[in-house]
Amino acid sequence: MPVVSMQVNGQTVRAAVEGRTLLVQFLRETLSLTGTHVGCDTTQCGCCTVHLDGAAVKSCTVLALSCEGAAVTTIEGLASERGLHPMQAAFREHHALQCGFCTPGMVMSALAIVSRCGPDLDQATIRRELEGNLCRCTGYHNIVKAVQAGAAAMKEADRP
Amino acid sequence: MDEIATDSRIGQPVRRKEDERLLTGKGCFSDDVNLPEQAYAVFVRSPHAHARIRSIDARAARAIAGVLAVLTGEELLADGLKPLPHVPFSMHPAEIRLANRDGTPLFSAPHYPLACDKVRFVGEALAVVVAASVAIAKDGAEQVAVDYEVLPAVVDTLAAAEPDAPRIWEHATSNVCLDADAGDRAATEAAFARAVHVVRFSTQVNRVTGVTMEPRAAVAQYDAARQRYTLYAGSGGAVRLKDDLATVLDIPAAQVRAVMRDIGGNFGTRGMIYPEFCVVAWAARRVGRPVKWTCERQEAFLADYQARDLAVQAELALDAQGNFLALRSSNVGNAGAHPTNFSPLQKGVEIMSSIYRMPCAFVRARAVLSNTSPTRPYRSAGRPEVMYVLERLIDLAARECDFDRIALRERNLLRQAELPYTNPFGMVYDSGDYHGAMAKALELGDWAGFPARREQARRRGKYRGIGVANYVDTASGVPRERAEISVHPQGRVSVVVGTVSNGQGHETSFAQLVNEWLGVALERVDIIAGDTDIVKVGGGTHSGRGMRLISIVVLNASRQIIDKGKRIAARLLESDPSRVRFDAGRFEVAEGGRAVTLFEVAAAAERLGDLPEDLRGPLTAFSDETVKEASFPYGAHVCEVEIDPELGAVEIVRYAAVDDAGRAVNPMIIHGQTHGGIVQGVGQALYENCYYDPRSGQLLAGSFMDYTMPRADHFPPFDTHISEVPSTTHPLGMRPAGEGGTTPALAVVINAIVDALAELGVRHVEMPATPERIWRAMRAAAGTASGNSSTPMPQAQ
Repeated sequence: MPVVSMQVNGQTVRAAVEGRTLLVQFLRETLSLTGTHVGCDTTQCGCCTVHLDGAAVKSCTVLALSCEGAAVTTIEGLASERGLHPMQAAFREHHALQCGFCTPGMVMSALAIVSRCGPDLDQATIRRELEGNLCRCTGYHNIVKAVQAGAAAMKEADRP
Repeated sequence: MDEIATDSRIGQPVRRKEDERLLTGKGCFSDDVNLPEQAYAVFVRSPHAHARIRSIDARAARAIAGVLAVLTGEELLADGLKPLPHVPFSMHPAEIRLANRDGTPLFSAPHYPLACDKVRFVGEALAVVVAASVAIAKDGAEQVAVDYEVLPAVVDTLAAAEPDAPRIWEHATSNVCLDADAGDRAATEAAFARAVHVVRFSTQVNRVTGVTMEPRAAVAQYDAARQRYTLYAGSGGAVRLKDDLATVLDIPAAQVRAVMRDIGGNFGTRGMIYPEFCVVAWAARRVGRPVKWTCERQEAFLADYQARDLAVQAELALDAQGNFLALRSSNVGNAGAHPTNFSPLQKGVEIMSSIYRMPCAFVRARAVLSNTSPTRPYRSAGRPEVMYVLERLIDLAARECDFDRIALRERNLLRQAELPYTNPFGMVYDSGDYHGAMAKALELGDWAGFPARREQARRRGKYRGIGVANYVDTASGVPRERAEISVHPQGRVSVVVGTVSNGQGHETSFAQLVNEWLGVALERVDIIAGDTDIVKVGGGTHSGRGMRLISIVVLNASRQIIDKGKRIAARLLESDPSRVRFDAGRFEVAEGGRAVTLFEVAAAAERLGDLPEDLRGPLTAFSDETVKEASFPYGAHVCEVEIDPELGAVEIVRYAAVDDAGRAVNPMIIHGQTHGGIVQGVGQALYENCYYDPRSGQLLAGSFMDYTMPRADHFPPFDTHISEVPSTTHPLGMRPAGEGGTTPALAVVINAIVDALAELGVRHVEMPATPERIWRAMRAAAGTASGNSSTPMPQAQ
């Protein structure tokens, strides 16, 4: 089996994988990083969103082998010894999660929105940009508020 | 958040304890569970809507390296597995019973975990391949050769009810498996005979599916030495899952353990045992290894239980002033391929008259089998459908008989002084301020300011409409629930409950109860659920029973803890129990100021060997209650839409909701429940549809490409308001708050759309009100009115 190596949450990982192994399978099964979820297998729900070299991707349609040498960030890589990342904290503060299954993908998408559109986000922009992430519990209302507040908090903390 | 919690007691918008885990990727959903040496299951599913299974040839599949077993219905029967134990009706004592009008017993048919004789819907599982990996199991499943005798299929609700429709079950006399009457037929006929106005409405309430974001998954293990199964799988309740699995495996319940940690949504469709859960447990014994199955989204669309799908023909009789005289209806629910659950039909019938003064009513309620996935309760089972029908009837009555739609509702809406009120089906609404809720919703939705907004919309070339809908919900479910509280001297309190959280935040809101009554800080309270080795009794999470019942048993158990604690504290404080008072986690002697904490008392109970027998040992108490009252949450929603005349596209521009929770334990969580509920209701009204092709019986909405899900950019911010008029049938005044968001949403959205298009002559638009349907309705109405087939643009007035 071919071997792939990449940086995941700042750590270099190296493993032999089948050619058909998807990035999400590599994360969940090989690395036991089960925070990244599979909600649909067809790149429509956004639950498996991670950052690949800084850009949000749906890891259920990325081959692990194609990530050779790349830097991957998952939900497990956001919080630090100082506590939750400001976006995670905003999700908690604004009750932007209920069952929590879509949440890791939502948070990773939210961070990508901030990096694409900047920290001063209006609600219409957030709603439009969240189009690729489905949530069945929250009705999106509090997610939109959380993304807006999280972006503002990131600006305040000047923390990317 | 707008509201900040000042403490952790009842009524505070306390931030959730479960969130840190879920936000950092440390949740434990079903697919996150892995067991050493586990094998993987992939199901062989029917490509046909209806076919006889002539034979299954699994030799090629078994020959693949890594395939451990291929199991079919034949082996399942040979091993003595039993059908799934469906309970077709809610047996709650407050609810009506539906029985066949001709006195014949209820139709039943065995629902085996794998199809044995016939497949009855596309996606029904008939074999399972167990292999060393998912990929090998998939390869194996492709090699299972099934010889089908394809049979004619029927999927449409009313078509399936026809006498000559293809028969789903040969031993039935027709596909109509329940034909019941409810209400007073003679009185209703008489009322219609003297009515001045009669309004008629026919509709097919679309079929939808739960779409929990977490697809189902299950891992099962069989311990041969102890002859014991362990099943890890998310569901609506652990005890029920354990008991049902034991029934299917035909073993004592003690030989099954069911475990569930985080559950990624339920909404009812995930509420009970599934065929695949039984098969993985059985397969684990057969192959001698743990077996895991993870549902793919396409399988979820095919084989998750689905919901709604109700054909209704209804009539409302009114007198000259607009007083409701009677309601008459035919409700036909599509049960799908297996007669699993008629409670949505039952629950819909019994409150079809809603919270209006309705002197009499009569409903003929039928359930019909068809070549579709079986239906089950889904968020607010049965109620959104009938609220939609009644609120549409009221709007139609207003338009066709020239009443103001608000005045017509006000005239007929029950007043507080009329409660408790027995509705024409025998349901007793305990209490509530129905007029207040509607008035508040109209205020939040700025009903009075609507004409100006409509005028502005006209200038932008849009049709704008507004709608209102009142609702009532019946919360019932399994009446028995239990809580067991233990105070640990190390400074923690554990509470074992028989519900599970599917996202409702029980770890937080139940802990608030403990904070309120035992004065223990939230972070010291552990809510324990979802493992039948710990939880012995409990009805699970459905029908608004979580907080409603848990609050009662936690209160009772807390009182026992305090009573016991006072006696122990009296000993420690050298006083008399009658002089000990408990406040904020401390036992104090009233006059002295000497005090001991709850945890010191717990330590003393374990330490002091000479305490009376009933106080010695761990400080624990339990309460096990059967609550016979149902609860009737209610409220009113107002929705405003704009419609693009050229595209037929609908935009929801305002949405206001008033929902009565009686007493809100955590308003932040309740608002969240309402937001999500609204979106599920609007999803049904505008987007979602489990569409089966009527000729082939194929599910054409089998992925997120063709089953339209509500998304963030479909909605405006919501204006939700929690009303708190205490319920008179709950000791703490609480009403459930999980389903109110959905219950009136279907009605209010369609009422708003029709209001927008009424000036064109549009009388109704069916759900889902897609742009195509709206565009066709506008053109059809315009064509009828003017002979012109193009859609007229709105004219400023």
